[in-house]
Amino acid sequence: MVSVINTVDTSHEDMIHDAQMDYYGTRLATCSSDRTVKIFDVRNGGQILVADLRGHEGPVWQVAWAHPMFGNILASCSYDRKVIIWKEENGTWDKMYEYNGHESSVNSVCWGPYEFGLILACGSSDGAISLLTFTGDQQWDVKKISNAHTIGCNAVSWAPAVVPGSLIDQPSGQKPNYVKRFVSGGCDNLVKLWKEEDGQWKEDQKLEAHSDWVRDVGWAPSIGLPTSTIASCSQDGRVYIWTCDDPAGNTWNAKLLHKFNDVVWHVSWSITGNILAVSGGDNKVTLWKESMDGQWACISDVSKGQGAVSSITETQQSEQ
Amino acid sequence: MAARWSSENVVVEFRDAQATAMSVDCLGSHAVLSGRRFLYLVNLEAPSEPPRKIGRQSKWDVGTVQWNPHRSESHVFAASSNQRVDLYSWREGCGEVHTSLQAHTRVISDLDWSWFEPEFLVTSSVDTYIYIWDTRDTRKPTVALSAVAGASQVKWNRKNQYLLASSHDGDVRIWDKRKPNTAVEYVAAHLSKIHGLDWHPDNEFIFATSSQDNSVRFWDYRQPRKYLNILSCQVPVWKARYTPFFNGLVTVMVPQLRRENSLLLWSTLDLNNPVHAFVGHDDVVLEFQWRPQKEGSKDYQLVTWSRDQTLRIWRVDPQLQKLCVSDMEDLMEGMSLTVESEKSLSSQEPESQLGVGLSADSLLDQDSGGRPDSVGGSGLTQTLQQEFSLVNLQIRNVNVEMDALNRSCVVSAHFGSHQVHLVVKFPAQYPNNAAPSFQFVSPTTISSAMKIKIQKILTDTSLQKVKRNQNCLEPCVRQLVSCLESDMTQEDGPASGPFVLSNPVTPALQAFPRVTNTYGSYQDANIPFPRTSGARFCGTGCLVYFTRPITMHRSVPPTEPTPRSLSALSAYHSGVLTPMKIRSESQSTLRLYSGSPTRSDKDTVSISSFYYKERKLPISASRRWSVQTLHDWPKSRRFKTKREDHGNRPIKLAGKVIIQEISCLLPVHKALGESYILNMNDIQDTCQKNAAAALTVGRRDVAKVWALASAATNQDLSPDSDPDTETPWARHPFGRQLLETLLDHYSQMSDVQTLAMLCSVFKAQASPADCYSLYGHHPPRSSMFPPHSRYPSYTSSSVTSGSCSSTSDSITTTTWNTGRDSDHVNPWGESSPDDYRYGNQGYTDPREREREQHDMNKRLLDPANMLQFDDFKKCYGEILYRWGLREKRAEVLKFASCPPEPHRGIEFGVYCCHCRNPARGTQCAMCKRLTFQCAICHVAVRGSSNFCLSCGHGGHTSHMMDWFRRQDECPAGCGCHCLLQSTC
Repeated sequence: MVSVINTVDTSHEDMIHDAQMDYYGTRLATCSSDRTVKIFDVRNGGQILVADLRGHEGPVWQVAWAHPMFGNILASCSYDRKVIIWKEENGTWDKMYEYNGHESSVNSVCWGPYEFGLILACGSSDGAISLLTFTGDQQWDVKKISNAHTIGCNAVSWAPAVVPGSLIDQPSGQKPNYVKRFVSGGCDNLVKLWKEEDGQWKEDQKLEAHSDWVRDVGWAPSIGLPTSTIASCSQDGRVYIWTCDDPAGNTWNAKLLHKFNDVVWHVSWSITGNILAVSGGDNKVTLWKESMDGQWACISDVSKGQGAVSSITETQQSEQ
Repeated sequence: MAARWSSENVVVEFRDAQATAMSVDCLGSHAVLSGRRFLYLVNLEAPSEPPRKIGRQSKWDVGTVQWNPHRSESHVFAASSNQRVDLYSWREGCGEVHTSLQAHTRVISDLDWSWFEPEFLVTSSVDTYIYIWDTRDTRKPTVALSAVAGASQVKWNRKNQYLLASSHDGDVRIWDKRKPNTAVEYVAAHLSKIHGLDWHPDNEFIFATSSQDNSVRFWDYRQPRKYLNILSCQVPVWKARYTPFFNGLVTVMVPQLRRENSLLLWSTLDLNNPVHAFVGHDDVVLEFQWRPQKEGSKDYQLVTWSRDQTLRIWRVDPQLQKLCVSDMEDLMEGMSLTVESEKSLSSQEPESQLGVGLSADSLLDQDSGGRPDSVGGSGLTQTLQQEFSLVNLQIRNVNVEMDALNRSCVVSAHFGSHQVHLVVKFPAQYPNNAAPSFQFVSPTTISSAMKIKIQKILTDTSLQKVKRNQNCLEPCVRQLVSCLESDMTQEDGPASGPFVLSNPVTPALQAFPRVTNTYGSYQDANIPFPRTSGARFCGTGCLVYFTRPITMHRSVPPTEPTPRSLSALSAYHSGVLTPMKIRSESQSTLRLYSGSPTRSDKDTVSISSFYYKERKLPISASRRWSVQTLHDWPKSRRFKTKREDHGNRPIKLAGKVIIQEISCLLPVHKALGESYILNMNDIQDTCQKNAAAALTVGRRDVAKVWALASAATNQDLSPDSDPDTETPWARHPFGRQLLETLLDHYSQMSDVQTLAMLCSVFKAQASPADCYSLYGHHPPRSSMFPPHSRYPSYTSSSVTSGSCSSTSDSITTTTWNTGRDSDHVNPWGESSPDDYRYGNQGYTDPREREREQHDMNKRLLDPANMLQFDDFKKCYGEILYRWGLREKRAEVLKFASCPPEPHRGIEFGVYCCHCRNPARGTQCAMCKRLTFQCAICHVAVRGSSNFCLSCGHGGHTSHMMDWFRRQDECPAGCGCHCLLQSTC
């Protein structure tokens, strides 16, 4: 059954803007308007404060854990225009890198799939998206897509590392030739897809449906199917699910998941890519699932920060 | 001078005008009033004459009207109407529209004629563009400035022909028309909408803004972080404009309930009280303009137009002007006295007369300021109070408390671990050759030697200044700072500001931190409103979510959507929603939010300010309270503020983060991951056990699938190797077709666990021998390899084992070939269809082809989709990894047909022992000699060899084995303990 396994009192002095657990689900990172990032050990229902990371000079908007094969690495972004990459070494957390290349608030950070190495995408209100790649020896290579979104970029999300295009053209026995792709959303009401070609980032697709700022985008994890799926949410209260069956990735179809009454701030996919968590200005969290006939249905409602996920029907249980 | 306090001398009523805007021409002869149906031209020389009219046909009111300020074009005026600007010309008593400017797509908010080029006009609009027009070419604007945000005001600089300023909500942008791409400077001027913007008439850098937030602020755009001065009012300020004479400012308020329709005249040198009020209008003053001075006249005339449909002309005589000018020149740089106002200065009247109605403060100011005559006529001196109000001491780590009454100030500076507190006392004659005294007071922590040094520097600096009757407080403080900083750089580190000793009055712009921690920056309009709740799937089966604390509610009705941008936050502070009655209190709060660096962190604007906290009361009282809050939420906020101040109980702004186990919602199960087995030697058993495992977690459907799998993999159904005997089971509807339907179904369910397991089992079911028999030329002994091993193996037929072994043809450079070198040789059995395509090309015998086709047909898993099946396994492998089931992951990945990444470990290379060039093979390509000699027999090694990783010596394997059976040092005599070195 669905159950609350832990309730963490973060003791942040101001409102929380993001909370994320690491790859294994053993640690929780939170960030807040009080300019700090906190890391808790949440194993076995505990909540031990492991680190209180101070370094930002403004509210911290988002955190992101890197894949554990690179060590314990956390990225955070803030209103102070900075991106800080923190690393745990010998049990202590320290700044590994500080990126100051943006001219306005950095709203979103997202680590790429581990197959690409340590690569971080950052979206900022200055309209640019930066891609920071670790090249070893404390060196970070920076690529910047200027004016990715006019007015500002609000969210970035990487595509899973899948072999592009058809399943047939792949030469046998070769190391798969991954193409790096990610999706971004911005104040131009657009969802944009980006692709790396010959080391250069190019706009691949422009998806139009929203009528106000796009607040978040989420590229669904792949389970090996040739379909790509993206969720996007907006100030206009709408959540769209974008799918693409076309191996070349050119034809994207939008499906309206739901129109909410208030802004939708965040979308998050489950690991199997079949459940979407939606949260927004109404202080509610809802979970949505696609039925076998392709319809999206709300399967739960987490509201007011007190209740557990409720109303999971028995049919859902027996179906599985 | 009949009525000093209502010195209007002309009142004319235009009852039907319904004019929304007014402008006075540059000759001072006409005023235009713009009504909806007519434009009225009032002759200011004879205002009571009936006005001339120009008819207009528009359903839109005129937004702004303005005469061209150049004498050559004094007959032209521009009037904006919705998205259009009409240019009228007025000659000989009649006027007409001679041209129209159209480019804006939304209503025009403001327009302004250039002060330098008579043809140039700038317009601003809520369509976010600011257009500069050359009226000789009206087809399109010559320059378009894209501001992203809609502008409310736009004004040309009076001193620099290229500069203009525009206001956008609470921000001001400074533009250089030569650089239209981006604003030159941003000034986050106010937290609410700016209603009025005015450039200083004589200073290129200074402007004043008036705002909804009840203040007028004065700015030097070179220091956009901090206003020069602030005029705090009780009500929102509609317009604030500099007077044409010195140091004056006229404000019009946004009228509130009490009918405060007076215009106020201020001296910019003393913003505590207005120096004059123009009382008379019965309704809102819509527009006021200065009538250009007539030659020979010392008076200025203020022309005002009000909604009470009266036009009034007020005379501002030299006495009134003098109240603003006070008695000296403004210190702001770049300012120069005009002859005229100097003249007006000289004609002084007794102060007692002036002081009528003035407050004690201004009287004191007048008194202590001294008269120009008494201070020896120097134009550079000013009163202490004025110095204090103008001094720019926004220096980090430095705080100056000024006390004008006691003629002293306390400078406190913190540098590193050091503190300096300094009392500065100003003698009565200061700054007329009377230097202030400097005295250190506790807790000053610097050494006495340092104190003496600083004392000397300060005395020198102050003496230098007062000798010239100049103020010295700011230079002295800056000297103090630079002195302390240079002395304590090691403690202060890179933060030390770049103060230049030789030029101590340089404004320390760089010393301001680049990033301020407060909200209210110019870009906030682009920054999305922060998330205060969110949910994220983490790990494999967790949902992490956080919401606002349940006690926090939005300060606006929930029906109103959450704002989209951060700049909206300011509106919730700045009185837009605050009723007038608590204005005075909210005003003091406002100052805390205004970005002043002295306020404590607690007072900064935060996201939480958007929400307010419900007060917890006993149940009996809570109901009444909630009703009250509904009606008057700011009251509750005020209450909250009080509570915070009293520090009764810290209010929790951060909610809890909740981690929820949701794995039951997922199609994958950790329990299944643990109990599933993959025994390729007994597939029947595997299927049955897995079916049982599926039952225990309640997946009856999967249990049945395992039963089906068991049936399909039954030995009885194993295909015959001869294509002619029977159709293989895979071709049967219950064969491949059934399996594909199952895979489809579980794909839709995103059940990657079932998918991967099915693919693995059916892959294992294809017998190992089959895989390799595909390739006719493949050595038969390959079946000795574990089937489908995912580990690399040698492709060469003469494989020997051992880390340092080599084949006869290639010394040590054994190929860790993973099959990528050759299209034809593929040790992985099944792989992508490419293999088959290539394979087909190789066969000429039709029977071969048939046999191969049969091999394909025998399989239950469609070989064409192998890569996809591999992806299932890889994804499932990832999930197993997250669950910590690494061995299970390895088991599944064994069935993946894609090779792992090539081995990236050590690869041995050979350098020729004669010419030191890298060599491949036994013979060096450069010197043609044999590359590697046996250390024992001194014969070139072709076959199997061993060598020491440490010293590099070695030789034939057999010789080395013999040698090291008895010895542990290198046979070459280098002294290396090869065995020890190699093992560690």
